[in-house]
Amino acid sequence: MIKFENVTKVYNKTVRAVDDISFSVKGGEIVGFIGPNGSGKTTTMKMLTGIIKADVGKITVNGFNVRKDPIKAKESIGYIADSPDMFLRLKGTEFLDLIGDIYRVPTEKRQERIQEFAKRFELTEALSSPIMSYSHGMRQKIMVIAALMHDPPVWILDEPMVGLDPKSAFELKEMMREHAKNGNAVFFSTHVLEVAEKLCDRVIIIKKGHILYDGTLEKLESTNKNESLEKIFLELTDK
Amino acid sequence: MSIYLKLVGALIKTVEPSTEEKNYKKVFYGVMGFIAVCGIMLPMAFFVGVVIYALTQPLVSQGAGQNAVELFLHLISVFSFIFGLNVIFSVFYFSGDIENLLPLPLKPYQIIASKFTAALISESIMEFIVIIAAFAGYIIASGRPFWSWIIALVGMVTLPIVPLIYCAIICMLIMLLSGFIKNKDTVNKITGFLTLAVVVGIAVLVSNMGGLDSDHLVEALSDPNNQLVNTMNLIFPQVHFLVSSMVNNTVVNLIFYIAVNGLAIGVFLLVAQAIYFRTAVGINRVSGRTKSIDKVIASLKQHSPCLTYLKKEFRLLFRTPAYFTNCIMINLMWPVFLYIVYLLNGKTNFLEGFIYGIHTGNEESVLILILAISGLSVLITAANCIASSALTREGKHFAFIKYIPLSYIAQINVKALVSIIISGLGMIIYVIAAAIYLNLGIKITIFCCLVSLLSVSFVSYFGIFMDSVNPKLIWDDELNALRGNYNVFFNMAVAMLLEAVTCTSAYLLFRFTSLGSLIIIIMLFILLMILNIISYLLCSYKAAENIDRLSV
Repeated sequence: MIKFENVTKVYNKTVRAVDDISFSVKGGEIVGFIGPNGSGKTTTMKMLTGIIKADVGKITVNGFNVRKDPIKAKESIGYIADSPDMFLRLKGTEFLDLIGDIYRVPTEKRQERIQEFAKRFELTEALSSPIMSYSHGMRQKIMVIAALMHDPPVWILDEPMVGLDPKSAFELKEMMREHAKNGNAVFFSTHVLEVAEKLCDRVIIIKKGHILYDGTLEKLESTNKNESLEKIFLELTDK
Repeated sequence: MSIYLKLVGALIKTVEPSTEEKNYKKVFYGVMGFIAVCGIMLPMAFFVGVVIYALTQPLVSQGAGQNAVELFLHLISVFSFIFGLNVIFSVFYFSGDIENLLPLPLKPYQIIASKFTAALISESIMEFIVIIAAFAGYIIASGRPFWSWIIALVGMVTLPIVPLIYCAIICMLIMLLSGFIKNKDTVNKITGFLTLAVVVGIAVLVSNMGGLDSDHLVEALSDPNNQLVNTMNLIFPQVHFLVSSMVNNTVVNLIFYIAVNGLAIGVFLLVAQAIYFRTAVGINRVSGRTKSIDKVIASLKQHSPCLTYLKKEFRLLFRTPAYFTNCIMINLMWPVFLYIVYLLNGKTNFLEGFIYGIHTGNEESVLILILAISGLSVLITAANCIASSALTREGKHFAFIKYIPLSYIAQINVKALVSIIISGLGMIIYVIAAAIYLNLGIKITIFCCLVSLLSVSFVSYFGIFMDSVNPKLIWDDELNALRGNYNVFFNMAVAMLLEAVTCTSAYLLFRFTSLGSLIIIIMLFILLMILNIISYLLCSYKAAENIDRLSV
């Protein structure tokens, strides 16, 4: 469902933020994207969503080329950005309605999904207030609801757990599992290795724009016996 | 002192080309800066200088040479006060840096002094130029010695201080007294309406004075006991001391000038020290009202993406105080300004003859009217910056434009439509009102409306294109998105320059060829349509490409 083929992104003609990377995420998979700060995670995710243009290479989402067929590719994606501070002067319902219309979510499905997600994230009461009055966690929750409302086949989540309370983080993890179980792809970045450990079918470790590891956690741990995932990660990324 | 200077330095932010093609942007900004200086700043400075020179010359022989420049500087102070209110309000209470500054071990007066200085510098650059131009007009007309230029330079930088201090003290007092208002956005909006009320008040005052034409103005200014100047001297005493130090060549008045400013700054800092923290801490920028959520969710219906996007743009413009006062209110204010100008010139032969000409179908008058409507439409659309800040206003969430499944051109069209609706609708309402008041015929009214709409839509699309070249996406409060944004200024400069060339050419064609006004008006329509097509194509291809290229 997600395919990166020899993708490179260079900033200011000097900084190679992402350097000739290739990977894929299949339907039914949850893939964690791990790396230290400045490793190229967000750049990769932004290229995937069409926010940043790749200099070289080909990116395909749900069979659509991100450059050649951007609208179709974007329709297939549910994206949670790294910052939830968006349209703060709109009320929660107004923001969700905007997203619903942009992604052409039918009236009934829209109402049903907003009700369901708001209940799961305990956000129902806040929906009629302006987003500006929300806490960071509440803003993150509304971004999650907005990204998932149109039930896209591909979820791209940039640090989705940041700011969520334990219950909401649990709910989101459950939703990710349910989504993958239904044959969809979930690709998310995280700094929390425990989350990756418990949730991911596969992890991709990136550093300075290069992929250091792409495979299952079990395989990674089996080749580094008696070492914690944290230690393995630090050893890999400190090289 | 060093803390104060460091804070001022940190608060004044310059717009640096932030994306990859820095050299290309530098060239673009250089060219645009040159056009802006030649198209707006120099002509305006020259105009002010000439007016003061012309008014001062006849007054010198009557021993009242300084009255014209003094009255003008009072007027500048009044405008500085009117426009400063909202700026100071936003800078003191609604900027994003407050949350970072308040927890620091800084005294209230240090925060306020640095915020005030940063606002003064960024707000007053245009004012500095106008002030020095007025002094130049006076110094040349009255043949003052070299010493006067030094005083003029001092005045150029320091004259806006007192009016802005008035704004600052009023803002702090309003915030202190408005503790019962939960939603502070309301306070900000009330200030916007207060500004409008002050402008209307000035219009009424001028109206009650029975209008002032240039002959009466010189006559009134030659009176050494001119009541208006005397009253203004009480409100802005520093102006009188500065001008007197220039006229009398004495240091005493200059010392008085410095003392008045020093006193104002002292009082201001004392008030800030006493009440700023009390008024700034715990500001709740919005208030939420809880409705029955089931009803709200049940009311959500599917609509066209563009219609919802349009609604979102309107909501953000009307709900954000900085956008409301700068982008929306200006559309309500300009007719009042125009009315003041009309009252000031109401009895001149030119205006009377012009209106009579329109009534009798005089070709020249009709052509001038249509050219004026076109010029005004361009000016208002550029000045309200709805279009030229359309992308900048997205700020940190600019990425939203890029990851939603809605084409860039569709989004640009919606943003342009917002500008066209607000600017165009305002223009058409006022054109129709003026048409009824001046008893214009239906044909002329329709011509005026069409030319207005074409001018508005051209500047709207062109403004979005200009903004797309290098939108200012890093700002910490909404006012910063508009103020100090070169795109807004450049768009205004280019649009006004194009319009000036168009209108002058049209008028010269009428005067010096045998072409009738109808032919020239048709030519104007065709030219505006071509400009519309060019600006639309620029948006469709270049602006969309610019958005696509931006790394955010």
